[in-house]
Amino acid sequence: MEIKGEYRIEAPREKVFAALNDQDILKACIPGCESLEKLSDTEMTAKVRLRIGPVSAAFGGKVTLSDIDPPNGYKISGEGQGGVAGFAKGGAVVRLTEDGGVTILAYDVDAQVGGKIAQVGARLITGTAKKLADQFFGKFAEKVGAPPPTPVEAA
Amino acid sequence: MYDFAYHHPKTLAEALAALKDKPEARPVSGGMTLIPTLKMRLSKPSDLVDLNGIKELTGIKVEGNGVTIGGMTRHADVASSADVKKTIPALAQLAALIGDPAVRNRGTIGGSVANADPAADYPAAVVALDATITTTEGKHKADDFFKGLFETALKDGELITAVSFPKPEKAGYEKFRNPASRYAMVGVFVAKTAGGVRVAVTGAGPSVFRVKAMEDALSKNFSSDAIKDIKIPADGLNSDIHGSAEYRAHLVTVMARRAVDQANK
Ligand SMILES: Cc1cc2nc3c(=O)[nH]c(=O)nc-3n(C[C@H](O)[C@H](O)[C@H](O)COP(=O)(O)OP(=O)(O)OC[C@H]3O[C@@H](n4cnc5c(N)ncnc54)[C@H](O)[C@@H]3O)c2cc1C
Repeated sequence: MEIKGEYRIEAPREKVFAALNDQDILKACIPGCESLEKLSDTEMTAKVRLRIGPVSAAFGGKVTLSDIDPPNGYKISGEGQGGVAGFAKGGAVVRLTEDGGVTILAYDVDAQVGGKIAQVGARLITGTAKKLADQFFGKFAEKVGAPPPTPVEAA
Repeated sequence: MYDFAYHHPKTLAEALAALKDKPEARPVSGGMTLIPTLKMRLSKPSDLVDLNGIKELTGIKVEGNGVTIGGMTRHADVASSADVKKTIPALAQLAALIGDPAVRNRGTIGGSVANADPAADYPAAVVALDATITTTEGKHKADDFFKGLFETALKDGELITAVSFPKPEKAGYEKFRNPASRYAMVGVFVAKTAGGVRVAVTGAGPSVFRVKAMEDALSKNFSSDAIKDIKIPADGLNSDIHGSAEYRAHLVTVMARRAVDQANK
């Protein structure tokens, strides 16, 4: 399974890269994130509750940042155990390119699930992963790309 | 299964009271989707509110210019209803094609529409016929109801009480079934309605969607030849072990043509 997408963010690349490493921003953007705790600059533990159709599962797991290449991008990975529900593991390679004053964020997601959640949800995994990726990057683009306040004209 | 409190209300008011202020409470209708999820422990509701004892939620009424189907009405009852067969035969046919006899005898229209499975059949009829979904909070237009994968305009604790389908001039439904589950790989509902031609596709994308290009072509000429060269882009369509996005895109045109032929019979 391969999920790719692109967002245009109205902010310079350095600012976007910094936001990708800001744990408060990550917490606000990870769908269903109930808590995110810092272990080091590149490792966090997270609690996530997802509700998709009739399924509602709480996952506890680890979020890791790797292949860090400022300000061009990095890889963000998550790995979680949902108890009897099964496990989910996924990562996104994020690339930032400059286009005038704005930044193009391109992502490439790869996800695996196992256990019962995979048994019942096989036909829905790609759709679900795509939806979650869009929620994450959509919210991120919105938060980081918020247009600066209109400059006040000097009287 | 995990433990939960079980409620068996006799009226809608009792059901709403049992759901009120409990974010982890869930209504259950046919249970064809929810119960397997509970058995697998993929969901842990605090309370289950069983809608099966609520008489005001069942039944099929021919009213004004269409039919209104109560939320708890089973697929088998829609498939065999003389009123539905007479008013909107394509809708009775759609219900008859859902799953297997056990699923048709338990599964309900309210449960199916609330669940918004990307491969469910009813959403195609709801959107193509421009139906109105009545809930305990008010009425929803079909075009504003389905929001995405398993996502609807319903709020927590809001129950579907009925779905009203206006009678079309003509309508047809065709689906390419997954041979194991019988869910739609692709299903297309085509309707010639008072407000124009509407084409709704299920199974192909994350949620039901309309195909404007086909609607325009069919408005000029309501024949399957009018849409034979219309191809929909595979971008964003579902791709899984059963079929690629390109395959599903191709099936949309094939099923749409068959649905038009069905409507013209
Ligand atoms: C083997 C199998 C094959 C199937 N094949 C098909 C098929 O070919 N085509 C197809 O369309 N469907 C198919 N289905 C799905 C089935 O037809 C039901 O529509 C579906 O299970 C949901 O209806 P239900 O009444 O069983 O809902 P439930 O399982 O009781 O509930 C489903 C969800 O909706 C909520 N809910 C239930 N009722 C209401 C209400 N009135 N208001 C608000 N929320 C509500 C519940 O809380 C739950 O989240 C299949 C199911 C199975 C098990």
